[in-house]
Order: sequence, then structure tokens, then C-alpha cells
Amino acid sequence: MSRYLILFFLTAPFIFAALLNALINYKLHRISLKKYTAQTISWLLILTGIAVADPIYRFLFSNNLTQTEPLSLFDVIQITGIVAVLFMANRSRTKLDALERRVQDLHQELSIQLSKKD
Amino acid sequence: MSKKVEHRVALVIPAYNEASVIGDVIEGLKKSFEDQPFYYEIIVVDDGSRDGTADVARASGATVIKHILNTGSGGATATGLSYAQQHDFHIAATLDADGQHDPADVLRGVTTLMNGEVDLLIGSRLMTSEGMSRVKVLGNKGLSLITNILFGVNVTDSQSGLRIFSKSALDRLRWKTSGYEFCSEMLWRAKQIGLQLGEYPIRAIYTDYSKVKGQNNWNAFNIIKTLIKRRVVELFGE
Repeated sequence: MSRYLILFFLTAPFIFAALLNALINYKLHRISLKKYTAQTISWLLILTGIAVADPIYRFLFSNNLTQTEPLSLFDVIQITGIVAVLFMANRSRTKLDALERRVQDLHQELSIQLSKKD
Repeated sequence: MSKKVEHRVALVIPAYNEASVIGDVIEGLKKSFEDQPFYYEIIVVDDGSRDGTADVARASGATVIKHILNTGSGGATATGLSYAQQHDFHIAATLDADGQHDPADVLRGVTTLMNGEVDLLIGSRLMTSEGMSRVKVLGNKGLSLITNILFGVNVTDSQSGLRIFSKSALDRLRWKTSGYEFCSEMLWRAKQIGLQLGEYPIRAIYTDYSKVKGQNNWNAFNIIKTLIKRRVVELFGE
């Protein structure tokens, strides 16, 4: 099997999961249409880049525009790792943001309630 | 402080280690507002001070909300406005605790908002920039420009602490940052929810104390960094 195809199959689940997350968040009104569009376009760009990596490389190589080696197995693992980290980092940051907001709200409400007792 | 209850006005002062001046600020406000035909309440949000700011404010007759942790100016302002919203105030004004705002300017802002169509009125120190050092003028104009570029909000003084909020703004306006960058973010959120913004000229009173206590100019870089981050993150976060 082509290494480009392996790369696509390894990274595609992360990208589809990210696209699904964005869609769910939009449908649940957690994010605006603008945010949903930005997220979807970003992930689709990554997916497209990986899907057309092979023809792009062939085109560049045949036109003498690049001298680099074709994709190695190490490259496949590395790129998959980068996409996975990107996916997890985005999820973690979103959760952290929500958690921070909840802690702030809790602190605010607690301070107001406690001030009533003074 | 009880008057006719046609308008209920909350005067919110976020404070951090301001024990030496907070009493004078409260007294100044009381003098300006005591003859006015509306109910007002001075609310000091003590943002985790360790110098007895809360005790001084309470002794001066203010309602004190004490933060358990130090959150920053944005967090303290949010708490004060949330209190005002929960207690059915019609108008709220925020001002700095270091005494840089003239109580007469606060009153002028409140009456302007009462008689106008604006939801969020900003007291601009830069319409005349009287009494402000060149470095501060440059820093504040720079931050206003950044606010305009990042968020498309065109105001002359995006960092002013003197702001007047209508009931609609109190009910709907929320922001996420808790440091000084909340000043710009608040304007952005106001624009997003379609609030009507306005400005009026005010005089900044810089004493030796407020010069020492005020924002360090280098903090402007931190503010810009956080604002850019917030702008980018907003595209990806919930």
C-alpha cells in the first residue's frame, strides 16, 4: 500500500473526529456559525493537504521544483503524530477554557454570596 | 443613600490594595451624588487586598464584596456588575479606585446615559488628554488603535476605567479575560451583541500615588499579546 494512502488512513480519523466535534458544538449552539466555519475550513485544509500530497509531490518532482525524497515511513508517523497532537491540544484548550470560565463564575458568585453574610 | 427609586445607580469600584485612597474616593462620590434625585449605592469589589481596603471601604459606607482570590481588574469589574445586575440596578458606573476620576465626571456620565440612547458610555481621557503624560497618551492611543484593528471598535480611549452601563448592557454584556485586557474585550463583546457605544470627555487626575499605582507601560505588550490570543482562540474555542 502506498505510504501516502497509509498517511491518509492514519490521520483521517482525527480530522473527521475534529470535524464532527465542530458540527456537534455548532448544533448544540456552543459555538457561532463563524467559529464553526473557521474550524471546518482549517481541518478540511489539513485533510485536503494530506489527500493530495502524492500528486503534488509528483508534479513538483517531475517539473524539477523539488529534490526532496518521497515520503518515508518515519515521515508518515511524524505527520500522524502532529495531526493527533493538534487534535488533542485543541480539545484540551477548549475544555480548559470552559473550566476556567466555570471557576471564574463560581468565584464571582461565591464572593457575592459571602458578602451578603458580612 | 435612599432616594426616589425611579433610577437605581450602582457605582462599582474594583480595588486592589487601595486602603490609603479608597476612603477619599468614596467620600468624593457621596458628595457628588447625595443631592441627586435617584438611589445610588457604592460597591467596592476588593480583589483580594492585603492592606485593609475592604475595612476602609466598609467604614466609609460602601457595600463591599470581597474576592477570595486576586483575579485582576476584569474579574473584579465583572463581579461588581454581576452584583448590580442581580440587585436590579438600572445603571452602573465603574471607576478606578486610585482617585484618577473626578466624581463630577462620573455623575455627568450617569446623567448623560439616563437621558440618552447609549448602552455603554466610555469616559475618554484622550478627547482632551489634559494632565496625561506623553508616554501614557501614546500607550493609550496605541491600545485604542490595536482594539480597532483587532475588533473593529473605534473609540478614542479603549482603556478607560470610567464606564457607564445601561440596564441592557448589565443584563447582556459578558467577557472572558480577567486582567486589564478586559477593557478592549468588553468593547468587542458590546459590539458583538449590538450595544450602542458612546464616549464623553473626562479629565484624568494624576497624583503621585496614581502615577505609581497605575499600569506600567510595559504591560501594554502583555495586553496586546492576550488580545491577539483571544482573537485567534475565539475562532477555535467554544
